[in-house]
Amino acid sequence: MTAGIDMAAGRTERARSRSRFIGLGAVALVVVYLAANLGVAHGSYYVQNLAEVGAVFAILALSLDLVAGMTGLYSLGHAGLFALGAYATTLLNANLGWNVFILLPLSVVGVGIVGVVLGALSLRVSGLYFAIMTFIFTLVVTVLISDLDFTGGLQGIAGPTFPDFPEGLSFLGSSVAWCVGIAFLVTVVIVWSIRSSAFYPVLLAIRDAEPFAASAGVRTGVVRVMMFGLSAALAGLAGWAFSFLGFVSPGQFNWTVSVNILVMVILGGINTRLGPIIGAIFISAFPVVISIDPLVQEVIFGAIFVLVIVFFPRGIVGIVTSLARRIRRRPLPATEPSAPDTAPIAEAELAAAGEEPQVSDEIALEVRDVRFGYVRGTTVLDGIDMRVRRGSIHGLIGPNGSGKSTLVNLISGALRPTTGTIEANGHRIERLGAAGRPARGIMRTFQTAVLVRELSVRQNAGIGLYSRVPRISGRSLAWPLFPSAHRDDRAIRTRATAALARVGLGSGWATARVADVPHGVEQLTQLAAATVGEPSILILDEPLAGLSSGEVEQVSEILRQLKRDGVTVIVVEHQTRFIFEMCDEVTVLAAGELVTSGSAAAVRADERVREVYLGQ
Amino acid sequence: MLLQVLLSGLAIGAVYGLMAMAFAIVFYVTRVINFATGQLLMVSIMITAALSRAGLPDIVSVVVGVLASTVAGVLIYLLAVRPVLRFDRFSFAWLVSTLGVAIVLQSLAAIIWGPTSRGFPALLNRDNLHIGGAGISVQELLTIIVAIVVLVGFELVRRRTLFGKLGQAISADPEMASAIGARVTGFAIAAFAIGGLLAGVAGILVGPITFSNPYLGDTYGIFGFIALMIGGIERPAAAMGAGSCSASCPSVRTRSSARRRPTGSRSSSSWPCC
Repeated sequence: MTAGIDMAAGRTERARSRSRFIGLGAVALVVVYLAANLGVAHGSYYVQNLAEVGAVFAILALSLDLVAGMTGLYSLGHAGLFALGAYATTLLNANLGWNVFILLPLSVVGVGIVGVVLGALSLRVSGLYFAIMTFIFTLVVTVLISDLDFTGGLQGIAGPTFPDFPEGLSFLGSSVAWCVGIAFLVTVVIVWSIRSSAFYPVLLAIRDAEPFAASAGVRTGVVRVMMFGLSAALAGLAGWAFSFLGFVSPGQFNWTVSVNILVMVILGGINTRLGPIIGAIFISAFPVVISIDPLVQEVIFGAIFVLVIVFFPRGIVGIVTSLARRIRRRPLPATEPSAPDTAPIAEAELAAAGEEPQVSDEIALEVRDVRFGYVRGTTVLDGIDMRVRRGSIHGLIGPNGSGKSTLVNLISGALRPTTGTIEANGHRIERLGAAGRPARGIMRTFQTAVLVRELSVRQNAGIGLYSRVPRISGRSLAWPLFPSAHRDDRAIRTRATAALARVGLGSGWATARVADVPHGVEQLTQLAAATVGEPSILILDEPLAGLSSGEVEQVSEILRQLKRDGVTVIVVEHQTRFIFEMCDEVTVLAAGELVTSGSAAAVRADERVREVYLGQ
Repeated sequence: MLLQVLLSGLAIGAVYGLMAMAFAIVFYVTRVINFATGQLLMVSIMITAALSRAGLPDIVSVVVGVLASTVAGVLIYLLAVRPVLRFDRFSFAWLVSTLGVAIVLQSLAAIIWGPTSRGFPALLNRDNLHIGGAGISVQELLTIIVAIVVLVGFELVRRRTLFGKLGQAISADPEMASAIGARVTGFAIAAFAIGGLLAGVAGILVGPITFSNPYLGDTYGIFGFIALMIGGIERPAAAMGAGSCSASCPSVRTRSSARRRPTGSRSSSSWPCC
């Protein structure tokens, strides 16, 4: 026992020294960066311009990766947002004489708000349609700045001058180089913080597995809009910094610039730390640095696009990682997921199985006279009543099309009833969105697990803790700087590991990518994500779908353990043997109506149930 | 006067519409926007002009020019799009590879034929018709007719034939479509070929007005793309409508803005990057 504690202490000690090492590395990186910035600030005009333009586009590429890579929103509106930042700074400075430092928060927040509005308007569409909506936004912005009288038309206007350093600080060199450099540094800190935060798996879940994210308590729509707003604010920052580099004119902000920024992100490597930066530097510097015949240079430029993307669809960063892997000879995680623990349940837990847990008479969840139809005039559920006692396993059965899944979706918030009430733990919940229910202690699983395939099993399980970690999205902007965030990281990892162990997934599976694991493990991962937050009511939608008989036995054992822990479980299932063996009470639906509800034995003996369901 | 504006707007719009259609048919089947579509128009113009300068009869150079852009369309699919889609059907990596092809084609043309404008056979542009006081060349009339024929033909194929419905099925779910026996790759090649063909035809139709220039692809590709985006990528017919509208608008717009800005020429119209 003491050995175990020592080991755990050693592990936290190692984790602490590792995080201290990372912290020192980050400080060193910032120092080196600032030194490089000093070098640029004293460099020639050519070097300064090259670095400044590269940095501005790197800010744009990073901000676009935030939405395109992490949230799956391929925006073509970034040139328009960039233009708003640059023109707002230039015009307000030239016409009203506002100080550039007052204009910094103004353009960042202002463009951010524009982004929120644009995002909210475009929220209903996704994929390519989102790209089109934002494309049209850029088009409108460029037409406006070319045609309005006070914008200087197509010729553009001279940007404001950034004030020089005061006498004492003049050894720092060009102030504009520092201004752009610091803006880039801030952007990197924000974007990389989000990538390293506990919010990052949640963002990927919104992108790839929206229902899963919502069932973990994430208000997916709001998060999407806020992420777009943040991305827009960073584009505004880029525009603010860009205005000090000389002239601003519509040609610098037309929609081909939007496409270019997206090319930077994809060419460098979408959804990677360095990819957008590398892409931005490559595309903005290549035509300047390579001084050969301009036409030949263009041909090479285009050929690099094609060759990189055809041979390395993950972009330049993809080249580096695959090379590094080849050098290290480290096998792909796909080829070698370490052997899973075959003994699913620990002995101590089996020993506890002797005590029969108590089912109280208290009602955990009550469905009263619920009616629902997908289309006006049709009825899918007609006056359903269901009472689930606390600590019981409640089966929900019925033939295909009887409305089981609809009822589950009503309880978990994916749908809202036309009339009737649903009460959980003493609170009315039928008007609460899906994302509001985990906070009321309700979690659910889906018939087919849809998880984030590129994340590990443990990271996916950790998403289930979203509603249990306070202010996770706000803190993600500077995640590594909060001591509380480090605590939360550790807590999430420990609890996710424990939840995985409870469903029989040992440490061998925890670090495997979901894309590489078999179907049964995916289903169990989903179960771990639903139980990690310790819900009081757990809804399982066909948890046995596609499982082998061994895995069915494993799920049965998990259910018994949940019952011992006092969790109320509602389970939709077709395997009647499983239902009548596991459940305390069973509700039977047929054609959208309640057939009967009662103890498993009574329901099994019921004539009507035999008739509608068992076909006898 | 208004009729004249409308007619010439319609003729140019038909070219944009054909370009939008070239984008849309490729997108319709493969869910890819071929950013080199404009350069395919340029390929057909440049090759036709070069062959015509070499002394070949117009009809031969036109046919070879259109064939060249069709073949180029297929090559783009095989070399730059298919490898990317095989890696990940849902990624947007084709954006980078097709843009790369566009840059390469344009610069190669500028290296081979020089970056400046050169002649193009007049074809049917010499003959003029008069409709109610407005003049229109036979070439322009032909452009409008071709656009209408292509539009109607496409809608008929899409709605009435199994071929068209298979196209719809493939765009919705390639794996499912291949499970029921559709030859997904064959369809994609056909889509890129038709896209190249339409862009090539558009080039031949507009060539006598624009002459040959390696940077034509940019202008027409951009207009075609805008028409596609505004018209709606799902319905190629709507894209064509948007193409005609966006053409009529700038020609009206430049007229009105010419009054405000005496220097305002066509190239300084408020549409971006023209």
